[in-house]
Amino acid sequence: MDLIRPSSPLQEDTTPSQAVARTTALHRSSRRPRTVAVAAAAMAAGLLLSGCGGGAATPGAENASAADPASAAGATGSINICGGKDASGIYKGTAEAFTTANGKVTAKYTEIGATTDEARTQAVQRLEGKSTECDIFLTDVIWTSEFASQGWLLDQTKLVEANKDRLIPSTVETAKYEDKYWASPFFTNAGLVYYQKDKVAKPETWQQLYAEAAAAPGNSFVYQGKQYEGLTVNFLEMLYSAGGEVLDSKGEVKIDSPETREVLDFMSQGLKDGSAERAVLTYNEDPARLAYESGNYGYQRNWPHVFRLLNATPLAGSFGVAPLPAWEGGKASGVLGGWNLAISAHSTNQAGAVSFIDFATTPDWQKHVAMDFSQAPVNEAAYSDAAVLAKMPFATELLASVKGAKPRPISPVYPQISQAIYKNVYAVLSGAASTEDAVKSMAEEIKTAKASF
Amino acid sequence: MALKSLSPGRGVNSHGLNGREVKSRGGNGRDRAERRVAFRMTAPSLVLMALVAAVPIGYALWLSLNQYSVRTAGLSRFVGLENYITALSGPHWWAAFGQTFLFAGLSVSLELVLGTAMALLLNLAFKGRALLRTVVLLPYAVVTVVSAITWETMFAPNLGLVTNVLSTLGLPGGDVVWLGEHGYAMAVIVLADVWKTTPFAALIILAGLQVISAETYEAAELDGASKWQAFVNVTLPLLRPAIVLAAIFRTMDALRVFDLPFVLTRGANGTESMSMLAYTQLRENRLVGEGSALSILTFLTVMAVSVVYIRFAGGNIREVAKEEQ
Repeated sequence: MDLIRPSSPLQEDTTPSQAVARTTALHRSSRRPRTVAVAAAAMAAGLLLSGCGGGAATPGAENASAADPASAAGATGSINICGGKDASGIYKGTAEAFTTANGKVTAKYTEIGATTDEARTQAVQRLEGKSTECDIFLTDVIWTSEFASQGWLLDQTKLVEANKDRLIPSTVETAKYEDKYWASPFFTNAGLVYYQKDKVAKPETWQQLYAEAAAAPGNSFVYQGKQYEGLTVNFLEMLYSAGGEVLDSKGEVKIDSPETREVLDFMSQGLKDGSAERAVLTYNEDPARLAYESGNYGYQRNWPHVFRLLNATPLAGSFGVAPLPAWEGGKASGVLGGWNLAISAHSTNQAGAVSFIDFATTPDWQKHVAMDFSQAPVNEAAYSDAAVLAKMPFATELLASVKGAKPRPISPVYPQISQAIYKNVYAVLSGAASTEDAVKSMAEEIKTAKASF
Repeated sequence: MALKSLSPGRGVNSHGLNGREVKSRGGNGRDRAERRVAFRMTAPSLVLMALVAAVPIGYALWLSLNQYSVRTAGLSRFVGLENYITALSGPHWWAAFGQTFLFAGLSVSLELVLGTAMALLLNLAFKGRALLRTVVLLPYAVVTVVSAITWETMFAPNLGLVTNVLSTLGLPGGDVVWLGEHGYAMAVIVLADVWKTTPFAALIILAGLQVISAETYEAAELDGASKWQAFVNVTLPLLRPAIVLAAIFRTMDALRVFDLPFVLTRGANGTESMSMLAYTQLRENRLVGEGSALSILTFLTVMAVSVVYIRFAGGNIREVAKEEQ
């Protein structure tokens, strides 16, 4: 039994034991002969009790107060930063470096969840309960609109404006909701294509990549085709570069388009002609990487952290790293991942929080983000720094991917929108639905999701 | 022993209670005092039961009658049965309903057949029987998520143990993407469940088997019954209450299945269960009203099935429990 290698089903960066710990709780409750209702009610109670009790505050982003960039100068006391598991040590590392550098404000890091999902639930519970425990929450880029729409976050527009020259514009976009900024980017993430230099050429367009992948049996393309968030990302990368979109700038649903049909047909055709094996329908990040490591593939779409892992395999030296390709005749445009720093509306030390964000986004510390913790910086200069390039030789390609990338659909009901996308895309890829039907129901479900807000 | 403690025995108790109530109405002070003591002694557990079971279910019921959206953030609006109508008129609930029953039907019937066979084996007198009985239970001790991840790995395309062995031996199935197609994915999920919980069914059936006295078989032998005839005409009928009991437990569990499809397919290829659907709406989408309606529907489904079981097959259990007492 190999329990160390298989990826967790829950999150890309979860170890099996965390997955176990997390789902054991669910499992236990489902063993009791009183059905899930008990578990469900308990969960619902947890989510809601505090919210019901609060009463007074009007939810919504309109009434949020703003963070003052000038307040950092006089900051004292301590701040608490809350987020998920600190796998690379970046959260604790940054808190310690800040405490040393600042001298007046002490920062500590509190892990509130083992997986991304769990961290979100824990953050939601604290925010709904108006807890003052956490001054800063590490937020996944896709949480911004939901959290901001609830009035849970401090408006960081002034702070972001003040720091704008040091931040890559696309990364700041992930913190935007209704024309204001609700967080500052801390580190980012963008998809890359790894390719076997001896078998296939560096991919310039998706069409070329798929054609070469189909040309020989050992050339095929592995990506994340399992029914989950990762499939939404893989699909959107292709849709965006084909010029399609999910929601326009006004929030109107634009998924029912020729571009969506083209991309869906293209992807499902790829599974038929051997550009990609049917096995990708079961892959999330780790299985895709493990399959690629066997050496029987030409291309792999994955995240930057795979570079270090691939270098520890016999493939070291034989693979190249490329930014995501463009659609023929278009411009490459991926999808941004990464984590932002949001200040809780209930923070008791907002000035301290502002000074921490100032520190974490400085060009100097952003270099450490890359060198010490192998994460993608949000400062452009860091990517051409010699010390960073020594540790991250693909920094130029990564920067190209980051700069070209767009946020995922911005909406407080993003989880539902993502489900509508990955379930219908999966249905087309697995052959359970036609492109036409999938596009129609995708559009329908996204509209229903938006209406539920 | 297990049978006695596991069998509901509700029939017996409530009859007894009713009988006593009738008697005590006209009864003496001692009876009443005894009842008071009995009540006082059971009160704490009654209160506890109410807290852990009734209150959350009642609360979920209340939540399911209200509308909550992410926008209103916890503020609710009473909408009556609207959430139920939404859930019941959409395709997701019925798809999950059908798939969950398909899964339960397949896995429980396999578990009962294999569990009976396993119990018969464990009931034989041989050296090391106690050790084997313990070892056989091991799969049941494994946390479901861990075993699900293991099954996922074993059936992974190209790299998995099962797919590798099949293709090395040139057997069919080596090039199948097991978790990427409905039939195969369902087969893996059923297999994973059967592997894990057959020992549990076997244990209940074994307990039933041990209640059957050796004399019954001696009598059958005297009547000239063959081994097979003895099994069909003596063992099976006497074992029926234990098998029904195992079926009830396993069916209720199977209808609530969550972790296996969650880990193995994330609900893709038509393997989404009722519990998964409720989880997604409640936790991922924060649609508390609709999610609660879905969990109440799941709860009612499981309740209905167990009531049917107890009504049509439970008589056996009552009889056996009565006989034992």
